[in-house]
Amino acid sequence: MISARNLRKQFGDLVAVDDLSFEIQKGEIFGLLGPNGAGKTTTIQMLVGGLVPDSGTVEIADGGNPLQANVRRNIGNAPQALAIYEELSGEENITFFGRLYGLSGSKLKQRVDYTLDLVGLVDRRKDRLATYSGGMQRRLNLACALVHDPPILVLDEPTVGVDPQSRNLIFDKIELLKSEGKTVLYTTHYMEEAQRLCDHIAIVDHGRILAHGTLDNLLSEHGGMSVVTASFETNPPADVKLPGEFENGELRFESDRPLEDAAALLSHGCTFRSLRIDRPDLETVFLKLTGRRLRD
Amino acid sequence: MRMIMAIAQKDLLILIRDKAGLFWVSVFPLIMALFFGSIFGSSGSGGARSLKVAFVGVGDSVGVLAFATALEKSDVIVLRKMPMDSARDLVGRGKLVAYIRYTDTSTSAFGMFGPSKPSIEVGMDPARRAEKGYLQGLVSQAYFSLLKDAIANPGSLGPTLQEQANILDTLSGMDPIQRDVLQGFFGSLDKLMAFRSVDSSSDSGSGGNPAASFGDINLEFSDVTVAREGPRSSWEITFPQSLQWALIGVATAFGVGIALERRRGTYLRLRLAPIHRFHILAGKGLACFIACVISCSMLLAIGILIFGVRVVSPVGLIVALFSSAFCFVGLMMLISVLGKTVQAVAGSGWAIMLIMSMTGGGMVPLMMMPKWMFQLGSVSAVKWSILAFEGAIWRGFGVTEMMLPIGVLLGFGVAGLTVGTIVLSRSD
Repeated sequence: MISARNLRKQFGDLVAVDDLSFEIQKGEIFGLLGPNGAGKTTTIQMLVGGLVPDSGTVEIADGGNPLQANVRRNIGNAPQALAIYEELSGEENITFFGRLYGLSGSKLKQRVDYTLDLVGLVDRRKDRLATYSGGMQRRLNLACALVHDPPILVLDEPTVGVDPQSRNLIFDKIELLKSEGKTVLYTTHYMEEAQRLCDHIAIVDHGRILAHGTLDNLLSEHGGMSVVTASFETNPPADVKLPGEFENGELRFESDRPLEDAAALLSHGCTFRSLRIDRPDLETVFLKLTGRRLRD
Repeated sequence: MRMIMAIAQKDLLILIRDKAGLFWVSVFPLIMALFFGSIFGSSGSGGARSLKVAFVGVGDSVGVLAFATALEKSDVIVLRKMPMDSARDLVGRGKLVAYIRYTDTSTSAFGMFGPSKPSIEVGMDPARRAEKGYLQGLVSQAYFSLLKDAIANPGSLGPTLQEQANILDTLSGMDPIQRDVLQGFFGSLDKLMAFRSVDSSSDSGSGGNPAASFGDINLEFSDVTVAREGPRSSWEITFPQSLQWALIGVATAFGVGIALERRRGTYLRLRLAPIHRFHILAGKGLACFIACVISCSMLLAIGILIFGVRVVSPVGLIVALFSSAFCFVGLMMLISVLGKTVQAVAGSGWAIMLIMSMTGGGMVPLMMMPKWMFQLGSVSAVKWSILAFEGAIWRGFGVTEMMLPIGVLLGFGVAGLTVGTIVLSRSD
């Protein structure tokens, strides 16, 4: 559905995107995960036709170039900055963007009603944006991208500055859109969001993709083993061979099969007072790949 | 076209909802028109201004002189005595407000009591409705003041009564009985007046207005076609100026609006929609054009309906309006790329517009400018816009004369659109 090959974009001396390639299949949610300044937004701008790559190619929906207006009709873009008109009401904003994408008459009204309902703003449709909370404005930003019912959704950090209630609503709606067959490109620097939503994740830093795959693939390839920390009611029997160091009444070891190892200890007569398993996550993956945390 | 209309409609809606912006494009220009109009002159409705009037006396009667004297008693009328040809010429050229021709063929001072009443003809531009009513009142006042004088000074009627008796003698075919009765009446009346004149000083002014019994004043108005050589009121100078402030306000508001859209990211979002850059710029240009036309039309309507601004050439006015609006659409596009921030665009936009207004006659009327300043103002679109509007309102420009300001305005518009679009495209 979306294909990016060897994309490169440079601003002066700064290489924002460097030889970046990936493919997004129809109906999947693809996440670009990386810290601020990693090159996610520049990548998105090239994908939606806002920037011309210095080199490389972008293909949208059967080989279309997003620099062509008719190809961009397939894309619903919700930019990171709230690109909506605060002087207009929610309904007026959505209607305006619907008209820009060629909708009119009853079809336009139907889509406006649908998107307002989808993002939970029906009751506030006549209110001007100045009276909206940050979360409501974010939801409206998303609605403006959806009004023309595009097969591809590009969501650039759609939950920045959003309250937990709006964030959960946005997650639910993105999952709903996926179930309807939409293809979603989602950028974030929150690993929790990528883990929850994305079928495929590309970890980006300094304009390059460091790793790419499903969540499980990334964790297994780059996350390392789980860390198990256990304390016991009584000291383990002397004949039991412990898988790690036992110091100050606490056992700590790494394992790629933590539950099996814990069950083996139980079968050998160990009784746990506490047991903690720290599985690797995308934060761990990023840390291992870059030596830095995502929010550094 | 639907895309362009959608963008234009959105931008107009935003302008309408921006109360501060609305003030600058509608209320502020009106304030400027009223302020400068009050400074440069009165409303043109008469008031305390003097009316320069030609007086043409016809006949040898001393009544002609008496009527002229009565008119001159008015603080408002400045009377110039001259022959009819000169009077009509000066009124026709707009040098004088009107002429008053007083015809009295009787020989006495009080011909209004005779068989042929004096006639008064007032010739003036029919468009001067306010002055017409005012002048009618002043002429009537002067006429009836003569009647009052006659009644208050009955002894002076003696020659008139004698003249009427002599006329009776010369009438042939009159019934002798009727002639005797009338001559007896004139004789008795003469004696009565002579008797009343002894103590007239104690009686004068009492007993209502006897003049009313002598019938109506014989007053007629004649239309004089006036060749315009200047504005008829200060409003005809200040309203074309106020239109410039409206145009400046609209152009600056939309120029800043584009800068604001770029900062907000909505401009980029528009560009990512399945439309071409041309649609976006055309939509914004159309909105600016419509706002210019509406704002100017409202001001013109106020000027025409309330302040009596008269338009010599309605077609010329429409052409001036549309070409000025186009010119300021181009300037709007230029303003929008004058800076990278909203503040820079707003600041530089207003600075340039103020300079254009100052040099172009937006503050000091073109007709009051020294020659060097008038020529310097040629670099300002404001000057050409004012010239175009004035050409249609009071300068009486023909097609040839209108072509220069219109052409320059269109040139400004094309240049602004070209430069603005190129710079905007490059900055994208």
